[in-house]
Amino acid sequence: MIRFDDVSVTYRGGVQALRNVDLRVDDGEFVVVVGLSGAGKSTLLRALNGLVPATSGSITIDGTEVVGAGAAELRVIRSRIGMIFQTFNLVHRTSVLNNVLMGRLSAVPAWRSTLGLWPSTEREAALQALERVGIVEKAYVRASNLSGGQQQRVGIARALAQEPAVMLADEPVAALDPVTSRQVMGDLQRINREMGITTLVNLHFLDLAREFGSRLVGLRDGEVVFDGDISDVTDVTFQEIYGRAITDDDLLAVDAEPAG
Amino acid sequence: MNTPLIGTTTGRPSRPRRGLRLWPVVGALAAYTLFAGHKVGFDASTFWNVWSNPLWEKFWPIPWDWVLDRHNVLDPLVETLQIAVVSTLIGCTLALPLAFAMSPLTSPNRVTLVVSRSAMNVVRAVPDLFWAKLLVTAVGVGAFAGSWALSVFSLGVMVKLFSETIDGADPRPLEAARAAGGRHGPVVRTGVLPTVLPEYVAYGLYVFELNIRASVVLGLVGAGGIGRVVEAQRQYFRFDRVLGVLVLVFVVVFVIEQVSVAIRRRLV
Amino acid sequence: MSANPTIASPDRPVAPTRSGRRAVAAAILVVVVGWSVSGLGVSLDRLLGAPGDAWDIFRRMVPPAFAEAAERGVVGKVLESVHIAWIGTLIGATLSLPLAFLAAENVAPAAVRIPVRQLFNVIRAVPELILAVILIPITGLGPWAGALAIGIHSVGTLGKWATETIEGVDTGPLEAVAATGGRWVSGMRWGVVPQILPVVTSQWLFRFEINVRASAVLGMIGAGGVGSELVSQLVFRNFPAVGAVLLMTIAVVLSIDTASAAVRRRIIRGAATSSGIDSDEDRNAAVLADLTGLGR
Repeated sequence: MIRFDDVSVTYRGGVQALRNVDLRVDDGEFVVVVGLSGAGKSTLLRALNGLVPATSGSITIDGTEVVGAGAAELRVIRSRIGMIFQTFNLVHRTSVLNNVLMGRLSAVPAWRSTLGLWPSTEREAALQALERVGIVEKAYVRASNLSGGQQQRVGIARALAQEPAVMLADEPVAALDPVTSRQVMGDLQRINREMGITTLVNLHFLDLAREFGSRLVGLRDGEVVFDGDISDVTDVTFQEIYGRAITDDDLLAVDAEPAG
Repeated sequence: MNTPLIGTTTGRPSRPRRGLRLWPVVGALAAYTLFAGHKVGFDASTFWNVWSNPLWEKFWPIPWDWVLDRHNVLDPLVETLQIAVVSTLIGCTLALPLAFAMSPLTSPNRVTLVVSRSAMNVVRAVPDLFWAKLLVTAVGVGAFAGSWALSVFSLGVMVKLFSETIDGADPRPLEAARAAGGRHGPVVRTGVLPTVLPEYVAYGLYVFELNIRASVVLGLVGAGGIGRVVEAQRQYFRFDRVLGVLVLVFVVVFVIEQVSVAIRRRLV
Repeated sequence: MSANPTIASPDRPVAPTRSGRRAVAAAILVVVVGWSVSGLGVSLDRLLGAPGDAWDIFRRMVPPAFAEAAERGVVGKVLESVHIAWIGTLIGATLSLPLAFLAAENVAPAAVRIPVRQLFNVIRAVPELILAVILIPITGLGPWAGALAIGIHSVGTLGKWATETIEGVDTGPLEAVAATGGRWVSGMRWGVVPQILPVVTSQWLFRFEINVRASAVLGMIGAGGVGSELVSQLVFRNFPAVGAVLLMTIAVVLSIDTASAAVRRRIIRGAATSSGIDSDEDRNAAVLADLTGLGR
């Protein structure tokens, strides 16, 4: 279970990204986080795995405190949290498999991964992760040769390779076309349901949020202004979260078919 | 004031002040130039006198039979190549971890970053041949000192080039590796090394070329290689032989450069 | 895309064998290194002893004999190296820029271009030290030989860099000048020079930094500057004095490097202004620094 208790984050330049955030996420939940750019969505996710240090408050995952954790503890915490990124964050010049193996970094001794001597068990785990997202045939292809949607799949495989308890997705579809976006969101949803991995997804597009989310958290200026079931969400809710009227830019597609 | 045909106007703006007050700076530099020129003994007449100097006769004709003789030139040239290989290897191997330590992107902590940068700054502030001369004094004349001197030279060049490449590398895979819970070494190895490795090899080839050229100069201070021959002949005033050797070296460097460029093109 | 994502599919791709080319390259490398090492005939104890010998010398340089050095006018010699480098760089800059135009693909015809480019290559291939060796019998010993040697050699490097810069210009302004009926020279003056000037000036400064080191070295063969001091003190094995010379050289070189780097950054940044982008970059850089964990 994830808990945010009165968490505030202020960046070094003085920008306050999160204010007194209280949040509780139970195991296996699928949470969609929405808010304007700069509302604190990215910071929220990164505070959870310690990539951004929280200035005050407490963040616990199954009782383990993230705020103030030492480097070694953070590595253990992070090994149980898989993260996928808006820009995929793959190493372009190497193979898909090598990218997925990055998910196994916490499972092998440092000298092995530094020298690139991955045991066959780890390669097996990586290949299985690729199979789960359905692109194992691209295992030895250079990452830059894949399409955007495929690259994000690799990113998901990398996160799955960690065998995580939590999955964080920071605007995972912002760089993808509508059809691919729906596929990726569907994959995330399936992973959450079939593997029971607690999932937090930042989304920019409100129609996607409504289509795929089950619980919605709305952030505005670093504060939680909405936290409830997706069925309670209306356009008015979104307007309150955004603080302005909804425009077409906030929607993925005006009329597109939902993924089968 | 003229009424505009299109749009509106708020009147003419005042002329912007030059950010860097240009003219005083230029003036100061010009003054310094005159001062330095005087101190250095600038002598414009050299530019036209130089052509008519009788010394030029001593450079010609090139005694090819002597130059192409094994013992005179070719053996020392081989030695130069060997020195270049060894120095490139030592210098570039040491440069790899050092360059990573020197870049904010891949340095394990602040202390390492500052210490490695300061140390490299000092090392690179010492002119290369000073190193060579010091090493010659320390370990004696010959190829050994030359190898060490060129290793330091290779280290300096490679670290400079490579750390700039690392600084410009895409940092996002590093973030992903850290998010997966990796330790520092593995994070750098998986997150950024594949991206910069082709450049590293390309720079290595470049450093090798530089080392061959540098070894000509090294010999002038007694550190072995083909430069020994140049220095010896210079002392006997056999400039024709000196020119012959230089031409030969130029040809060798040119050939190696072409091969190196071809390889480098296929890498990056 | 995947029908049932949790069942392993039997058709995995075959792992590619380590590409043959890599193996060949590695083998060549091993052979070359082996040949070199054996050719040099270095014995292991000599190899291991070298750092110790070098360390011994460095130890003996401490404490450096500054007072003695100041008396002998070493400071003046170090400054002389700077003067030599400055004049040399100026000579190189002045000569290289017009030549670079003649060597640029988008400016000069092939008949002119190719010889000029080869000229640059030849000049670059001759190290300053060799040039000085050739010049000294003509100009006599002293700083002028050094400045000339540096100046001529710099023409090669600066010429090459400037040519590449000129070839990289945006041709838009050139076209605009031609469209107004301007002549070739005007095209250069208004279309090309403003674009390349910041970069080229920055290149000159960078060359100056390198030339300061070169001029220090030239002193070792009598072409002026601090190199002669180093050699004479080493010959007398007066290591504290050597240490003083080294430290003063390092101090001057580092100062010039820092100042020059700051100026270069300023020039390049000043040339690349477009509103708002810098502050975005700064902000993103700060966030990135936080995100990549360097805050720890």
